[in-house]
Amino acid sequence: MGLLAWVMMGLAIWHFAIFLPDRFWGGIVGAFLGALLGAIVIALIINLARTGALRIPGRHATELVTALYAVPGALLGIAAVYLEGVRRERLAG
Amino acid sequence: MSDRRRNVYVLTAVGLLLLAALLVVVGIPGVVKARKTKLGLDLQGGVELVYQAKPTKQSQVTADALNRAIDIMQSRVNQLGVAEPDISRLGANQIVVDLPAVKNAQRAAQEVGQVAQLFFYDWETNVIGPGAKPAPGDQAVTGGPAAGEPATGLSLYDAVILGSKRPPINRPNDTTNGTWYLVNDKTHSVVGGPEDSRANLSAERAPPPGSRVVEVPPGTIIVQAQTSATPPRGVPLRYYVLNDNPVLKGTDIKNPQQSFDNGAGGTGQPIVTFDFSSHGKSVFQNVTRQIAQRGQALQLPGTQPSQVFQHFAIVLDNKLISVPYIDFRANPDGIDAANGSQIQGGFTIDSAQRLADLLKSGALPIKLALISQSQVSATLGKQALNQGLIAGLVGLAVVALFLLTFYRVLGLIAVGALLIYAIYFFAVIKVIPIVLTLPGIAGLILTIGVAADANIVIFERVKEEIRGGRSIAAGIAAGYKRGLAAIIDANAVTLMVAFILFVLATAGVKGFALTLGIGVLLSFLTAVAATQAALGSMSRSRAISNPSAVGAGPQHRRWRYDFMGASRWFFSLSGTILLIGSLAIGGKGLNLGIDFESGTRIQTGFAHAVSENQIRNVLKADGYSGALIQRVSGNNALGPNAFQISTKTLQPARVATVKNQLDQRFGTRNFSSESIGPTFGTTIAKSAVIAIIASLLVISLYIALRFEWKYAVPVLIALMHDLLITAGVYSLTGREVSRYTVAALLTILGYSLYDTIIVFDRVRENVPRMPRAAFSQIVNRSMSEVLTRSLATSFCTLLPVLSLLLFGGQTLKDFAFALLVGVASGAYSSIFIASPVLTHWKEREPVYRARRIRLEREFGAVPAYATPVGGAPADVAPPEPRRRRRGALTAPEEAGEQISREEFDELVRDLDIDEPKPAQEPKPAREPKPARARPDGTGISPAEVAKAAGLGDGQAEDSPAEDAAPEGPGRTEDLRPEDVVMPKRAGVDGAGLGRPKSPKPRGGSAGKGRRHGRRR
Repeated sequence: MGLLAWVMMGLAIWHFAIFLPDRFWGGIVGAFLGALLGAIVIALIINLARTGALRIPGRHATELVTALYAVPGALLGIAAVYLEGVRRERLAG
Repeated sequence: MSDRRRNVYVLTAVGLLLLAALLVVVGIPGVVKARKTKLGLDLQGGVELVYQAKPTKQSQVTADALNRAIDIMQSRVNQLGVAEPDISRLGANQIVVDLPAVKNAQRAAQEVGQVAQLFFYDWETNVIGPGAKPAPGDQAVTGGPAAGEPATGLSLYDAVILGSKRPPINRPNDTTNGTWYLVNDKTHSVVGGPEDSRANLSAERAPPPGSRVVEVPPGTIIVQAQTSATPPRGVPLRYYVLNDNPVLKGTDIKNPQQSFDNGAGGTGQPIVTFDFSSHGKSVFQNVTRQIAQRGQALQLPGTQPSQVFQHFAIVLDNKLISVPYIDFRANPDGIDAANGSQIQGGFTIDSAQRLADLLKSGALPIKLALISQSQVSATLGKQALNQGLIAGLVGLAVVALFLLTFYRVLGLIAVGALLIYAIYFFAVIKVIPIVLTLPGIAGLILTIGVAADANIVIFERVKEEIRGGRSIAAGIAAGYKRGLAAIIDANAVTLMVAFILFVLATAGVKGFALTLGIGVLLSFLTAVAATQAALGSMSRSRAISNPSAVGAGPQHRRWRYDFMGASRWFFSLSGTILLIGSLAIGGKGLNLGIDFESGTRIQTGFAHAVSENQIRNVLKADGYSGALIQRVSGNNALGPNAFQISTKTLQPARVATVKNQLDQRFGTRNFSSESIGPTFGTTIAKSAVIAIIASLLVISLYIALRFEWKYAVPVLIALMHDLLITAGVYSLTGREVSRYTVAALLTILGYSLYDTIIVFDRVRENVPRMPRAAFSQIVNRSMSEVLTRSLATSFCTLLPVLSLLLFGGQTLKDFAFALLVGVASGAYSSIFIASPVLTHWKEREPVYRARRIRLEREFGAVPAYATPVGGAPADVAPPEPRRRRRGALTAPEEAGEQISREEFDELVRDLDIDEPKPAQEPKPAREPKPARARPDGTGISPAEVAKAAGLGDGQAEDSPAEDAAPEGPGRTEDLRPEDVVMPKRAGVDGAGLGRPKSPKPRGGSAGKGRRHGRRR
C-alpha cells in the first residue's frame, strides 16, 4: 500500500513538470522516470530513518504522512533529470 | 471477386449462421430442441469448493495427479447424486468443484475433498510411550482393552512434543516426510499445523508471537483418537503418537460396502464390510496371526484373555476409525481374509455409507486443502440472473437508441448487427457450452459497447469521407478500409488482455474473460464484416442516397481547440486528482474485500425482525465475537430483515453451526455464504499483479510493433494514470475492492487503449500528410478529427456500464463501478495525457524541433493549427459539403478507385493546371466532374493522376480524402497572423502574432516545396 501511495504521489508531482521548459534529460518521459524513481527511493530512505527498517510499509503501516514521504524524492528526481538535461545541452553547445 | 458478389456471399453466410444460431437458441418446436444454457452457481444456486493440492509422501502435485484426483472426486460426486456437477483444474495446483443445487456445503466438502487415505497398523507395537519408544506392554500407553479411545490419549500439544522427540526413520511405507506444527509452550497449545513443510506454516500468515516450530520427523505420525458418531461438544480431542509403519493400505482392499453387524453375537450396528486383494489377504492373515500369538504369549494364568487381547488399528486420514482386537482363542492362526473383513466403530448408517463410498472411490493421490467455499441459495441466484438480464437488455436498448439517433440509417444497420451479435453470442454460449456466470454476463454486456464502438469508429470515418466529397458508395468503402486498422488494433489489445485474464484469473473471473474474448471476436464479424456487406449492398439504394441519411449532413460545428496548448491545465487537473488519491491511499487505504483479506461472509434474510445485537449475541455464544454485522437493504430475495455477517475464515462445519444457530433463533431465509482462506486471497493478489504486468508488457509490445516504440511509452503512462486514478477513487469512496474489481481494472487496461489507439492511428496517418507541420499541430489536427468519435465510443461504452451499475446485482455493480471510473478516465487520458506526452517527446526529435524553430521564426510562436481559422482549410474537409448530383458519373464508381474533391484539387494545384485560391478566401472549388469522368465514361484512376503528378506507384492510392494538401511555405504565405490559432503561451500574445518573421513570397518555390513534401 505504501508503494502505491508513493507511485501515485510521484506521478501526481510529475504532472506539474509540464510547466517547466522541456530541458529534461530524456524529455517528459525522463522527468516521469525521475519522479517515480526519486519518489520511491527517497521515500524508502525516509521510511528507513523513521522505522529503522528498509521495507515498503504494508497496508496497516501506511498512513497519510507515508504518502508525503514521496514528495521530496519526486521533486529531487525531476530536478536531477532537469539539471542533467541542461548539462547535456551545454555540452552539446 | 467483385464487391457486390463478396457482399452477397458475406450476407448469405451471416444469414445462414443466424439461422443456425436461432436453431440453437430457440429450436423448432417438436423437431429440434433448443439447447440448454448452462448456468453458473451464482445464477442457479449451489456450492462451490476450491481446493489447493499439496503433495503427499506418495505423490507430488502434477497434472496427472490432479487429473486422477478430479476423476476420483467426480466419482464421489456421482455417488452423491448431484446433477451436472463441474469439477475442473484451476492453475497449476487448484481444483474447483461446482455442485449445483447442493445446499449443505459441509457435507459436500467432507465427501468430495477428503483424501481418504486408509492405513492398517499393528496397534500395540506402534503406539509410542513416554520414552519416545513403543511400549506394547504398557496399557497406560496403548489403552489396553480401551485401545484407541480418548481416555488414554494425549492432548495435541503433548502428542506433538512427544512425537518431536522421535528420531527420523525413513521407511518405504512411511506415510509422511515429516510434519510441522506451531506450538506455544506457555499455553501448552498447538497454534498452527499440521503442515507438510516448515515453509507452509508461515505461508498463510506470520507465526503468532510466542510460538515456535516443532517437527514431528518422518517415521512418526500423530493420529486422532476414536470418537463416537456424535462426539459431545466442548470435549477436547485426544491423540496418539504412532510409529508410522503401516502393514496394509487402502489399495489392498476392494468392494467396500455399508452393512450391519448382524452375524452371530452381532450388535446390529452399521458397519463397513470389504474384501482384500490377493496381496492384502496374505498380509492380513500374517499380521493378525502375529497379533494373536503376541496376545497369547502375554496371557498369564488367572487373567481374563480379553485383558491381553492385542489390536489392529484402522486409520483414515490420520484419524482412528476402529481399533479391533484379535481373539487369539478364536483365531490362533490369524483371521482368514478369504471372506473379507469389516470395520466397526460407532458408525451411523450415514457415516458408514460415506466411509464405504470413500473407500470405493479410492484415496485421492494428493492432499487437498479447502481454501475457498461458497454457497448460494437458488432464489438469490435466480434474482441475480434476472438482474443481469435486465441490465443486458437495457444496455442493448440504450446503445441501439444512441446509434439510431446519431447515425440514422447507418445506425439501423448497426442495431441490426448488434441484435445478430446478441443471437450469435447466445448460441455460442449454448453450443460450446460456456457456463454463464454473473461475471460472464458483465463481460457480455461490456462487449455490446465494444461492438457498437467498432461501428462508431467506422461510421464516423464514413461520414468524414462523404463530407470530404466522396460519393456515399465510395465513402462507405473508404470508411471501412481506413477505419479497420484502428479497430483491429483496439480489438487485438482487448483480446490479448482477455486472454491473459483467462489464463491467470480465478474461476469466476475466467467467465468474464472468456465472454469478453468471444464477444470481441464475434463483434468483429457482425460489426465490421456484416455491416460492411449490408451497407455495400445498399450503397446505391434510395435509402442512403442523401448524406443526411447516414448522418453526414453539413457539419455545423468542428472541434477547433488547442488541445496541446491546454494540455498543461489538464495535466494539472490529473496531477491534483492523483495527489488527492495518493493522500487518500495513505490516509484511508483501500477497502480490500475477503477475496484478498480472507474471511467468511454470510448473507441471509430472517423470518422475523432482528437487531444487529441479537445476531451478535448468537455469534458470541458460538465464539465469534469479532463479527461485523451489517444490514442489507433492497434485496428482494432476502427480504426486509436481511443482514451480512463478516467474520474470520470459518470452515464449512463452522458455517453450518452458525447457520443452525441463526435458523433456530430467528429462522433464516436464502442463506448464502462465502469463505476465502488466506491461500486463496494470496493467489488472487499474486495473479492480479502478474496479470497487470503481463498486460502492460503485451500492450507495450503491440503498440511498439504497430506504431513505433515512442508511441508505447505514452500509452503506458496513460494506463498507469487510469489505474491509479481508479485506485484513488476506490480509496476515496471506500468501496470494497474484490477480485471482480481487479478483473474490471484489467479490462480497463485493454479497453482504455481504444481511444488512445484511435487518436494515435490518426496521428500516424497525418504525419506524412503534414510534412512541414510541428508535431503539436499534427496532434491538434488529429484530435480535432477524432474527438467526436472518441467521445462517442466512450459514451457508447458507458451506456451499458451504467445499465450494469443501475440494474445489476452486487457482483455486477462491483464490475460496473470500476469500469465506469476506468472508461471515463481512459477516455480522458487518451486525449489529455497520452497525446500531450507523445507530442512533448516527439518534438524533441530533430525534424520536429527544426519545424518548430521555423514556425516560431515565421509566426513568433507555433500556431495551434497549421490552417487558417474560419476559412476553408485546404487540408481539412471542405466547409460546405455539397450533395453530389446523382447520375453525374457516366460509369459506375468502383470502391477505392475514385478520388475525392480535395485530392483532385490538390493534384490540379500540384500540376499547376490551376492556381489555388488563398485558403482564407474559400471559393467553391470547381466541380470535379470533368476530372472524375473521362469523356469515354471511365473515371480517372488515382494511379493515372499520380503518374501525371509525378508520384510513384501507390502513393496516390494511399492519398487520403482529407488533409491532402500539405502545409508548405506557399501555404503559410496565405495566412495572415490574425487568421492563425495561436497557443496560449506565456510571452506569446496578439502582439507576438503581429510580427511574423520573413513571410516568403509565394511562387514556384512553394509549389516545389509542396511537391517535395508530397513525395516524402
